Amino acid sequence: MSQDAAHHAPTSTGIDHKKLIMWLFLASDCMFFGTLISTHLLYRKLYPTGFTDAEGHQQFVQKLFNIELTSFSTFILLMSSFLMALAVSAMHKGELKSFRRNVLGVIFFGLIFLGCQVYEFTHFYHQGLTIQNSVLGSTFYVLTGTHGTHVAIGILWLVLMYFYSFTGKLGGHVGALDVEVAGLYWHFVDIVWIIIFTAVYLVEYLGPSGIWGNGLPTIAK
Amino acid sequence: MSHDTHHAPVASKLDLAPERSDLGLYRPDRTTGLLDWLTTVDHKKIGILYGAFAMFYFLVGGVEALAIRTQLARPDQAVVTARMYNQLFTMHGTTMIFLGVMPLSAAFFNFLVPLQIGARDVAFPRLNAFSLWAFVFGAFVLNASWLFEFGHLAGWFDGFAWHQALTYTDFAPANGWFSYAPLSGTFGQANAALQSPRFTGVGTDFWIIGIQILGVASLAASFNFICTILNMRAKGMTMMRLPVFTWMTLVTSFLIILAFPAITVALIELMFDRQFGANFFNPSAGGQPVLWQHLFWIFGHPEVYILVLPAMGIVSEILPTFSGKALFGYPIIVFSGAVIGFLGFAVWSHHMFTTGLGPVPTAAFSLLTMAIAVPTGVKIFNWLGTIWGGRVRFTPPMVLALGFIWMFMCGGFSGVMHSSAPADSQQQDSYFVIAHFHYVLLGGVLLGLMAGLYFWFPKIFGRMPNATIAYIGSGLVILGFNLAFGPMHYLGLAGMPRRTHTYHAGNGWEQWNLVATIGAYILGIGVCIVFGNLVWTALKGKKCSNDPWDGRTLEWSLPSPVPEYNFAQSPVVGARDAFTEHKHGSKRIAYENDGGDAGVHMPSQSWMPMLAAAGFLFIGFGMPMMSMGVPHAGWIVITGVGVLIAGIWFWAVEGPGGYMLKTPVEGPAPADRPSAATSAH
Repeated sequence: MSQDAAHHAPTSTGIDHKKLIMWLFLASDCMFFGTLISTHLLYRKLYPTGFTDAEGHQQFVQKLFNIELTSFSTFILLMSSFLMALAVSAMHKGELKSFRRNVLGVIFFGLIFLGCQVYEFTHFYHQGLTIQNSVLGSTFYVLTGTHGTHVAIGILWLVLMYFYSFTGKLGGHVGALDVEVAGLYWHFVDIVWIIIFTAVYLVEYLGPSGIWGNGLPTIAK
Repeated sequence: MSHDTHHAPVASKLDLAPERSDLGLYRPDRTTGLLDWLTTVDHKKIGILYGAFAMFYFLVGGVEALAIRTQLARPDQAVVTARMYNQLFTMHGTTMIFLGVMPLSAAFFNFLVPLQIGARDVAFPRLNAFSLWAFVFGAFVLNASWLFEFGHLAGWFDGFAWHQALTYTDFAPANGWFSYAPLSGTFGQANAALQSPRFTGVGTDFWIIGIQILGVASLAASFNFICTILNMRAKGMTMMRLPVFTWMTLVTSFLIILAFPAITVALIELMFDRQFGANFFNPSAGGQPVLWQHLFWIFGHPEVYILVLPAMGIVSEILPTFSGKALFGYPIIVFSGAVIGFLGFAVWSHHMFTTGLGPVPTAAFSLLTMAIAVPTGVKIFNWLGTIWGGRVRFTPPMVLALGFIWMFMCGGFSGVMHSSAPADSQQQDSYFVIAHFHYVLLGGVLLGLMAGLYFWFPKIFGRMPNATIAYIGSGLVILGFNLAFGPMHYLGLAGMPRRTHTYHAGNGWEQWNLVATIGAYILGIGVCIVFGNLVWTALKGKKCSNDPWDGRTLEWSLPSPVPEYNFAQSPVVGARDAFTEHKHGSKRIAYENDGGDAGVHMPSQSWMPMLAAAGFLFIGFGMPMMSMGVPHAGWIVITGVGVLIAGIWFWAVEGPGGYMLKTPVEGPAPADRPSAATSAH
């Protein structure tokens, strides 16, 4: 592999092809998540009361959310980014063992995040929020589910990279670059989650119906 | 490593022992025949395949158009049923845009961009092959809906329970090329199988998944081209020395990567509505159908510029060549192209003036739409400035390019009429709109692309198309086109609505509809002559020199057909219009001897891009079959995802491969050989 790198002429911009194409993909993905988040926020503004539960009661999303759990999984995902940075750094130094250790950490933290999401989805479903019974259900599950899919793809990528590192073919400049590109993706997915966490969860707690206000207005049954 | 032996330079790939990939499998290494075309990673062959498929789908879309025009030739006709008519106009629009114009533009991107920037291939050759095959399979899925439709009409499915349970049986898409919700979506409550009642049949599901797959193909290709243009320019090829066609490819690619995510999300949401009972666009559950319009047009308007900018780039190459002058105002043409790209994202709601946006957004979008006429007008004046005072040589590409300017301007004028919201609310959904966008997309884009085909065919195949037949064909195209679409301005203003299956006599529409139909048939004959001439040229045409037009850009400095390594030695460019400067000016192209003893690095062929793309074939058939209620169809989708992931995995671990090719360096550079056109000066 490293011989191949020698044949690549220096690029016009000085940025490696793989890194440039990943940045372009991320630019495109920004528009992708931007569209999904916009859809969710537009409908939240249009229908502020949330959804109707199985008993036919109007429910507010704040009653649904478990903000402590989501904050925990957000923190875990952020820490996975920290480990990813360590893994990239290790690969640049050629420390394969340290790379493997850190990548396993990233995978483990990513799985915790996904586990929390699975728990959250199940919990919300039992509370009466389904993809079919409200617009909120549709936008919430599709938006967070799409993000979860991105995390899952990232985990699959890193797992494959972890096993590939045992073949001895992951190394040198090309190996470090491949890991760095995966790292770019992983950091991006984390940053998107910070935006989703703010726009979908945190803002619900602002205003009169949030924790800073006078509590939820009562709704006649 | 297994391909170590491939680091000794050879004269031909066939001198090498079969190469094993890191998977331990033999890599395909044929240089001719079917196996070569299926596994090629050569941007020139991929470009030719794109072009061949695009021309085929142009004919498919043309047949659909002629069926529509035959139905409308006389009042109160029933040549096709209303149900079939809906499918025809939907598939006509979808085919022409996604399977005709876009891939034909992609054919030019593929063939020309590396040659124009002095590179030996694109940045990711295997990803390029993946884009091609994803396009081919996506196009197949979309058109396979016709096979299901014919199966349905022939009664093949009558005995099946799932078929008897269908409410709507339009198997080909029947909701217009923009598939407006709620018509394309759902209403009411989802049932136990998570499906809500719908307004249309599974044709819509074919459309959704087909466009989704084509979107993946376009996105992958665009990432690749931006990377190639920014990163692989020859020495001295600064951004402001890039040929204008390459510039427009860059702008178009940026438009694609930023606009396609919007339609991707919209399609995902619509798919969830139809397949899993979600409520994004379901009015009974509070979904807002107008959101579909916004998401669609945020993609759809940049899409218009995705279609037209490559044609503008082609014309910007042809006019200077045949005027014997440098392009007038190169920087301002490039800048205008970029401004069109930016403004293209800020005008989408002019497609929605009649939805009731309110006065402020309507006024803002009106104003921005008028503003976009400015950079477009700047380009047209610069083209006129290019011809002005030049020694104009009339050739088939030049005639078609001049036709482009004239027809595109007509479409532009009616476009400025639409930008006025009060006028637009009269013209909305009338034949006036049909006239407008056919002048832009057919009179503009198709003439531009045809001009490009006639211009670069001698380079692609080393053979010269017959000029007389080309003139006859182009004349018929321009005549038939104006006969077909000119009267539609009048028909639209006289109140004839779009997408009408038939009309009654006595509205004053009979005469011009008949004229339009006659024009459409003349246009059809013209297109067949133009394309037929090209096919004949590719196979049997008269051989021509390497630089028959006295070309201005790097690709003309190469032999025709272009060898697989493109440049025997990498060029070092000293000026814009590098080859003209080389031949007639003072700044000659220098060559780096990088293809000498060490050889040049060539990528190896691979099956994996096609294998990965084949996953889309399963997904593309599985999703609509799930929607039909075919038992266990979900497993087809899961198989498809598996094939896709497996394809990508094998692709990754087989390694890029590659071998060193020794290029001929003896003798004068091909550029120094005088050609007939050069000596005429």
